[in-house]
Amino acid sequence: MAVKKEPPESADPPAETEPGENAAGPEESGEEEEEGAEEEEQAEGAHEAPDDDDEEDEDEQPEDDGTCFSDPEDFVDDISEEELLGDLLKDRPQEADGIDSVVVVDNVPQVGPDRLEKLKNVIHKIFSKFGKISNEFYPDADGKTKGYIFLEYASPSNAQDAVKNADGYKLDKQHTFRVNLFTDFDKYMNISDDWEIPEKQPFKDFGNLTYWLEDQDCRDQYSVIFESGDRTTIFWNDAKEPVSIEERARWTETYVRWSPRGTYLSTFHQRGIALWGGEKFKQIQRFSHQGVQLIDFSPCERYMVTFSPLMDTKDDPQAIIIWDILTGQKKRGFHCESSAHWPIFKWSHDGKFFARMTSDTLSIYETPSMGLLDKKSLKIPGIKDFSWSPGGNIIAFWVPEDKDIPARVTLMQLPSRQEIRVRNLFNVVDCKLQWQKNGDYLCVKVDRTPKGTQGVVTNFEIFRMREKQVPVDVVEMKDGIIAFAWEPNGSKFAVLHGEVPRISVTFYHVKNNGKIELIKSYDKQQANTIFWSPQGQFLVLAGLRSMNGALAFVDTSDCTIMNIAEHYTASDVEWDPTGRFVVTSVSWWSHKVDNAYWLWTFQGRLLQKNSKDRFCQLLWRPRPPTLLSQDQIKTIKKDLKKYSKIFEQKDRLSQTKASKELVDKRRTMLDDFRKFRERAQGLYQEQKEERMSLRGGVDTDELDSNVEDWEEETIEFFVTEEIIPVDE
Amino acid sequence: MKPILLQGHERSITQIKYNREGDLLFTVAKDPIVNVWYSVNGERLGTYNGHTGAVWCVDCDWDSRHVLTGSADNSCRLFDCETGKQLALVNTNSAVRTCGFDFGGNIIMFSTDKQMGYQCFINFFDLRDPSQIEDNEPYMKIPCNDSKITSAVWGPLGECVIAGHENGELNQFSAKSGEIVGNIKEHHKQINDIQTSRDKTMFVTASKDNTAKLFDATSLEHLKTFRTERPVNSAALSPIYDHVILGGGQEAMDVTTTSTRIGKFEARFFHLVFEEEFGRVKGHFGPINSAEFHPDGKSYSSGGEDGYVRIHNFDPQYLEFEFEA
Repeated sequence: MAVKKEPPESADPPAETEPGENAAGPEESGEEEEEGAEEEEQAEGAHEAPDDDDEEDEDEQPEDDGTCFSDPEDFVDDISEEELLGDLLKDRPQEADGIDSVVVVDNVPQVGPDRLEKLKNVIHKIFSKFGKISNEFYPDADGKTKGYIFLEYASPSNAQDAVKNADGYKLDKQHTFRVNLFTDFDKYMNISDDWEIPEKQPFKDFGNLTYWLEDQDCRDQYSVIFESGDRTTIFWNDAKEPVSIEERARWTETYVRWSPRGTYLSTFHQRGIALWGGEKFKQIQRFSHQGVQLIDFSPCERYMVTFSPLMDTKDDPQAIIIWDILTGQKKRGFHCESSAHWPIFKWSHDGKFFARMTSDTLSIYETPSMGLLDKKSLKIPGIKDFSWSPGGNIIAFWVPEDKDIPARVTLMQLPSRQEIRVRNLFNVVDCKLQWQKNGDYLCVKVDRTPKGTQGVVTNFEIFRMREKQVPVDVVEMKDGIIAFAWEPNGSKFAVLHGEVPRISVTFYHVKNNGKIELIKSYDKQQANTIFWSPQGQFLVLAGLRSMNGALAFVDTSDCTIMNIAEHYTASDVEWDPTGRFVVTSVSWWSHKVDNAYWLWTFQGRLLQKNSKDRFCQLLWRPRPPTLLSQDQIKTIKKDLKKYSKIFEQKDRLSQTKASKELVDKRRTMLDDFRKFRERAQGLYQEQKEERMSLRGGVDTDELDSNVEDWEEETIEFFVTEEIIPVDE
Repeated sequence: MKPILLQGHERSITQIKYNREGDLLFTVAKDPIVNVWYSVNGERLGTYNGHTGAVWCVDCDWDSRHVLTGSADNSCRLFDCETGKQLALVNTNSAVRTCGFDFGGNIIMFSTDKQMGYQCFINFFDLRDPSQIEDNEPYMKIPCNDSKITSAVWGPLGECVIAGHENGELNQFSAKSGEIVGNIKEHHKQINDIQTSRDKTMFVTASKDNTAKLFDATSLEHLKTFRTERPVNSAALSPIYDHVILGGGQEAMDVTTTSTRIGKFEARFFHLVFEEEFGRVKGHFGPINSAEFHPDGKSYSSGGEDGYVRIHNFDPQYLEFEFEA
């Protein structure tokens, strides 16, 4: 025992310490201890402080009259209680214990003692819903209660529940409860009356966020997710082979998205969204939204919308949150009943407005206030779908037929809410609104069942937005429609129609006089999707998934099929933002084998096959709109020959360099391997005798080194032939 | 040139093997028959009978006197190559997965599966001591507790056995002491096949991890990697060129659910040094389970899950083909 050898100073009187392990020594461990103490006592001499306040000690050791554990007079206690039994003291009851569980209820009716019991009953009924009330206090003055009460719950979480749910409870007309946590009172008391100017946030420099646009060779970037989502890499797209810029493990938990102008890369995490950018892909902003599943950006990149199925409560809308990307602040939360049609909020092209459709209403909000435009929604009974024009603040929506009222497609100018065009339609089954990328045209695909006929006919109602009164022309199609797509920056559109296996593609041109001209039609196509080049003119017809990845590269200037190819089982097609390259890919999300992405030129020449283990997704980094004026673009197009010479030379140079590099690489590989072989063969030669002895002296090093041992056999050749068809 | 199709098995081929001179081709399959063929015209010379279950492996000694087979009927059998007479029978507790004669043809090695509560063992018998076979007493028996052996060959001069394991590991077991003298793990999935070069100084492994790799047989130094998109079941080295042939394809269990196109059942030719693919040969309509070059390098054979063995004689273009370097 340590106590025995300690100098008397530390042998505290038991009464001074808390009853516990340390004190147990001198009290209980018996004779040996006492003897030791006695010896010490003798050594110390007789001037022993009379120890009389230590009753407990005396009880146990009557003969010793308790003095043996006492401190000398000049004793100074230099060990604090915390040091000795800090672990126990931690649990010591505190005055403020349970303070977290106390709520204060204001606006309680003031009653006299006669009705106090009744009030208590009512209060109990309301507040015991949130947990057991362990204590209550009704302060009174002049025989009446003061109108506020204190309730203590068994646990702080009960108190929080009570605050959340009972605050604002209407007891009767005069009395609406205000419920607060007792601990919050300090907080509210300390709020200063003067408004303090918030401190300026230091400017964080993330470098040049658009550095990638300054690449010498005007290359584009793309993101690749592979290893079933564990790894994400950003590549430069190079004609030879992709050049990795940044690779990270577990960068995102599900997938990634680029912002519409390519400034940010967003990654998904259980706790929210992170945005990355700049040259090293540093984190620029974080948005905490538990369980976030879907996101959307405003076209101006100023705002982001996130959706999470968790977290939504009645009075705190958090299913959809709109964030300010620059500040990282939450701008507004919204409830969400169903995420089936993402994006729920559709943005106007300039990011000034965003709109959402619920049953019979269209709510348009404005930025930056995030409030309803003109403080009220539009009542549109039966509204089925709406869409913003990508070229102006015009909203298009349609309403189906209702008894005698025909179906209606309406174009509305905002913020004036002026209807600029209404078109009535009959026998409508369904409508689809499709804007041309510049907002020059709107195509409403109308599926109709004309009276007296069976089956569905499709009309394309083409609205010419740039002309007065928005004239409409109609193209009727008898076939089933598989896909429709506008030429971006152009006035052509392509339609895939027919039934498998008789699928045709037809190209139309909307002329200036409004006439819609059929340019060309090809039948027997293997395609179910149309992918226009973002610059127009070229497109890829793809037969994805069930059609085994058939690809047709079309030039619509003269409507020729430039090339027919195939990427077997391809699931995705992605044009680069400049329209120079196309990527086709087999994603692990849709198919578990042969996950790869292939790079093609816009003409359909295969450049690269990139196989990645469990490849999931490839996304090109978008580019912001060009800064060149239409005239400048025209001049460049005119002088294209001049530029193309320079580029062709550059290409040739890099090609010869590449083939030389390949030959060099092979040569070094061959040299290395030869060296290895020489070493191995040297060893082999040394072992020749050993080999001979193991095989009874026969040299078997060469195939014909023991020809003399061979026996001759006569064989015949059978000339029967069987043809077995293999493969295809 | 038209391949010669050998139809001697009712079930999928498990292994094919040429004798040293290459005039004979032995084939075994998941049926109990062991066939031997003339490689030059595809005439079947005969069968070695006795097994009652799938035969996993076959080997022939250097002077074509004996044939050794291992089977899932829990036995390893030794036959007279010429007469087909069964010379010896070794019963085991579990299926025999790999077997082989050493360089001199005097010592046989076979490995058993980890199965039905029995461990995986490599057994060594010396044929010069007939009592070892008679008493079923191998002179050495090495247990492999961690991961069972899925393929094995004799190393140079019969000093060691190189074994590939289910977890992708490679071990060199000394044939004298049984010690592990070398270990390397370059594959991360089962090693389906190991074949040595003609001079036994290097060997190539074929693995389920979609790659085949070249190693130095003595130092186990990893030299080259050949990548595909499908499990590789067999890989063989050309005796005359720096070429490797890889056979494999979609796993047999998935084959019925996918088309031949997606299965990729072609034999694929890679350059040994550049690791680049330069040719493919179609034909099988199931994965290739075993492929081997003829010892003269002018033809090769492949045996597939479809039950056929195909002997392909190379066209002159193949023999003239050269890489630019």
